[in-house]
Amino acid sequence: MNIKKFISKPLAVLAPFVAASVLATNPVMADETCMSPYMVKIVGQEDFVYVWTLGVEGLGDGQDKMVTVDVNPKSEHYGKVINSESVGGRNEAHHSGFTDDRKFLWAGGLDSNKIFIFDVHTDPAAPKLVKTIDDFVSKTGGVVGPHTTYALPGRMIVTGLSNNQDHGGRTALVEYTNGGEYIDTYWMPTDDNLQGAHKGGQFADGYGYDIRALPAKNVMLTSSFTGWSNYMMDFGAMLGDAEAMKRFGNTMVIWDLHTRKPKQVLDVPGAPLEIRCAWKPENNYCFTTTALTSQLVLLNEENDVWKATNVADVGNPADIPLPVDISINSSDTMLWVNTFLDGKTRGFDITDPHNPKQVYEKQIGNQVNMVSSSWDGKRLYYTTSLLGNWDKKAGDNDQFIKLYHWDGTEMTEQFAIDFQAEKLGRAHQMRFGAYSLYGKTAKVEQAKNNIVAMSK
Amino acid sequence: MRYLSLKISLLLSLCFYSSYGLSEDNAIREQVKTRDFYNSDHFMIKAPEAEGSPSASGNAQNIDGIRIGAGDDKTGYETTGYETNSVAISARHGKKADLIRVLNEPPLGLPKIPIPVDNPMTVEKIDLGKKLFFDRRLSLNDTFSCAMCHIPEQGFSSHELEKAVGFEGRSNRRNAPTIYNTAYLERLFHDARETTLENQIWGPLLSRNEMAMTSMGQVIQKVKDMSDYDGMFEEAFDGKSVDIVNLGKALASYQRILVSGNSPFDKWYYGKETNAISDQAIRGFDLFKGKGQCIACHSVGQKTALFTDMKVHNTGLGFKRTMGKEPEKERMLIAPGTYAYVMKSKKAIVGHAPMPDVGVYEVTQDPDDRWKYRTPSLRNVALTAPYMHDGSMLSLAEVIDLYNQGGVLKNESGYPNVTQSPLITPLGLTENESEDLIAFLKTLNGDNISEVISDAFSTPVGDTISIN
Repeated sequence: MNIKKFISKPLAVLAPFVAASVLATNPVMADETCMSPYMVKIVGQEDFVYVWTLGVEGLGDGQDKMVTVDVNPKSEHYGKVINSESVGGRNEAHHSGFTDDRKFLWAGGLDSNKIFIFDVHTDPAAPKLVKTIDDFVSKTGGVVGPHTTYALPGRMIVTGLSNNQDHGGRTALVEYTNGGEYIDTYWMPTDDNLQGAHKGGQFADGYGYDIRALPAKNVMLTSSFTGWSNYMMDFGAMLGDAEAMKRFGNTMVIWDLHTRKPKQVLDVPGAPLEIRCAWKPENNYCFTTTALTSQLVLLNEENDVWKATNVADVGNPADIPLPVDISINSSDTMLWVNTFLDGKTRGFDITDPHNPKQVYEKQIGNQVNMVSSSWDGKRLYYTTSLLGNWDKKAGDNDQFIKLYHWDGTEMTEQFAIDFQAEKLGRAHQMRFGAYSLYGKTAKVEQAKNNIVAMSK
Repeated sequence: MRYLSLKISLLLSLCFYSSYGLSEDNAIREQVKTRDFYNSDHFMIKAPEAEGSPSASGNAQNIDGIRIGAGDDKTGYETTGYETNSVAISARHGKKADLIRVLNEPPLGLPKIPIPVDNPMTVEKIDLGKKLFFDRRLSLNDTFSCAMCHIPEQGFSSHELEKAVGFEGRSNRRNAPTIYNTAYLERLFHDARETTLENQIWGPLLSRNEMAMTSMGQVIQKVKDMSDYDGMFEEAFDGKSVDIVNLGKALASYQRILVSGNSPFDKWYYGKETNAISDQAIRGFDLFKGKGQCIACHSVGQKTALFTDMKVHNTGLGFKRTMGKEPEKERMLIAPGTYAYVMKSKKAIVGHAPMPDVGVYEVTQDPDDRWKYRTPSLRNVALTAPYMHDGSMLSLAEVIDLYNQGGVLKNESGYPNVTQSPLITPLGLTENESEDLIAFLKTLNGDNISEVISDAFSTPVGDTISIN
């Protein structure tokens, strides 16, 4: 049965209304700010941070794992690792994302192409691996490197990074049901097959990376990174490989959210990575940063045409600070930009999205990659790993999660967990969990756990 | 939007040119007037320079509906005038070919294919070997087939990397060589360490930084466990199931049949078709066998030409890579036509030190063999960039420059390269003569390339199929 035809259209037509409804009826008080607008929100303080962690050969059990950190300041385990679920193998753990009902967390492996699905609602303190999609490549027709796992109503959209033909950057979007059933593959537009999209500039490379939706505009946006050969290879070796350095994405694609058809291909040279869209209904724009050319890029629509504009430098582009993760706050006034190579986080005032100004800068470590913010913007979590073979070597290879409190003018570190000392691995992407999502309270659940522990 | 990059380049140059005084790049700036700097360490190159830039990445073209060259063509990426020329992955489909026909009728310019007595060619073995060649499950984590490095449309090599990358992204020291015409080679691998195609397969299968299988037994058991191979070995090998011998025979059979000749050069030189190649290419051939001295190692016979002497030589390049000094900073492409400099110190923080490579010495332990590598055939050479054992030369022009300067006889400190081949001496070729040589080298593409690629595309890629 063609599941897509059977289910997708009615849901897709309703999508913007569903999104609007979610946002209107569930005023959020705390959650990370970079999730799908279709996502169920946490109300109150987050209880846990789930850290998708890369296994390191010779460190601990050497496997990728989902690490749970207790982050509720009222908990006796505050700032401690309380659970770790190993998945077998080193899969190049990278990004993860919840289903729209926030009951399951999908975590991809860029190397093995497996997608691990964790149940996070039965016991939010201890996510459990309940399903592994191990036929991603064969099912999708050759897509390699499941990256962003992004929630649409009842669906998960997975962006690929590569393919099984040349391990280059040409790739696709893949759609699954929340239950992990494959639906369809949508290849990124290429010159010989733009699929009706308008190629607005010089490039249509067919590359992929991140995805975000703007339901009010019936739009999905995708960015572009590089293929398996590059993201898996030694970073230093790649910098010295003149052919490899040509294999980075220079495009973003605007998609029709309902039909999953590409509409526009935009030139965004220099590997545009994370996409973050503004939250306010009247703010129909998004940002990205380019990893290699260190530009902050605004994506907005003018006269029914989407455009990409470089609106600020991130650090000194000549130093190649390598912008990586970014995080927008819920009032669309601040954008946090991490730069991997100098280990800094930079705060940009984006009140005027056309003229962002850097207003804050802080050294987080020798290297830094991901940043996750609470909805109120007061808590910022940082982790360090970029890719297994791109992370800094020897003593510069920091691997931690740190929590900072942000008071509007200054950051203060609250706790740090050294993932190497804990023999866990490389700390990568963070997602938040909370008992409140599932009608539970921390006290009751902890009491239950204590009883279980005592009975053992 | 079409010229957005160019506009940005011009805008940035206006913004930054006046803010930054003349720097250490001043000399370069004066030499290249079309170059727009926007600060001392970071600059863009405008489109007009494309004419003089190296033609890396294979210059993709379509023949008989088949892309020859990378589907993600990067020709001209060195300038802001670069435009993509990409084809969809879904367009990568083809038609099974009658490959075995060349067994009795070798292409013009090539000798009869040498066939081992104990491994006669059959269609069944070729088909089985082909299936294995494209099967990513033959690696420890099901992600790597032979074809991930020996990519059919990229000359059965890889245009996308100088040096191959293997299991879990582990670094390799050398470029993935083409497998066209390996049937004729007496020694295999760049360091000539292997003797037969049947034995050769175990190198990459078991190498920790290639396909990373842990033992021969593990490979055999894995194939036995794949139901889609049920009966195939038995059919190809008189009822025998898969073992270490017939696995080698099957893979060798596919690789051995990938011969490619009847090139424009063959038609001109052996077929006596006077108009088969251009006057420039004819001049290039004269240089090839005369002033250029190329023929001393890239042999051409009376009736056939393999363009290799089957020997090993030190050209100076391996010596330079090992004994030379790494520059303090390297120019690096960060976007089409946009460069930055990366400092050696910065590279060292994010990368492991390059692995030493002493060439054939590692096989023989004879100091006289330091930095020697096998002479590659030049057939299809225009399709197999980047070049040399380490893939460090992106264009044929760069390769000719190395030989024109007489190799590398000493490093920056004066340390001598005592094992450099005496056949390599300064040539005194002019720029026009180099271009003539390149024109000749481009006449060596076989006439069956699109057919062989199409046949490869018709073969399903082996990936994990869930049993749940």
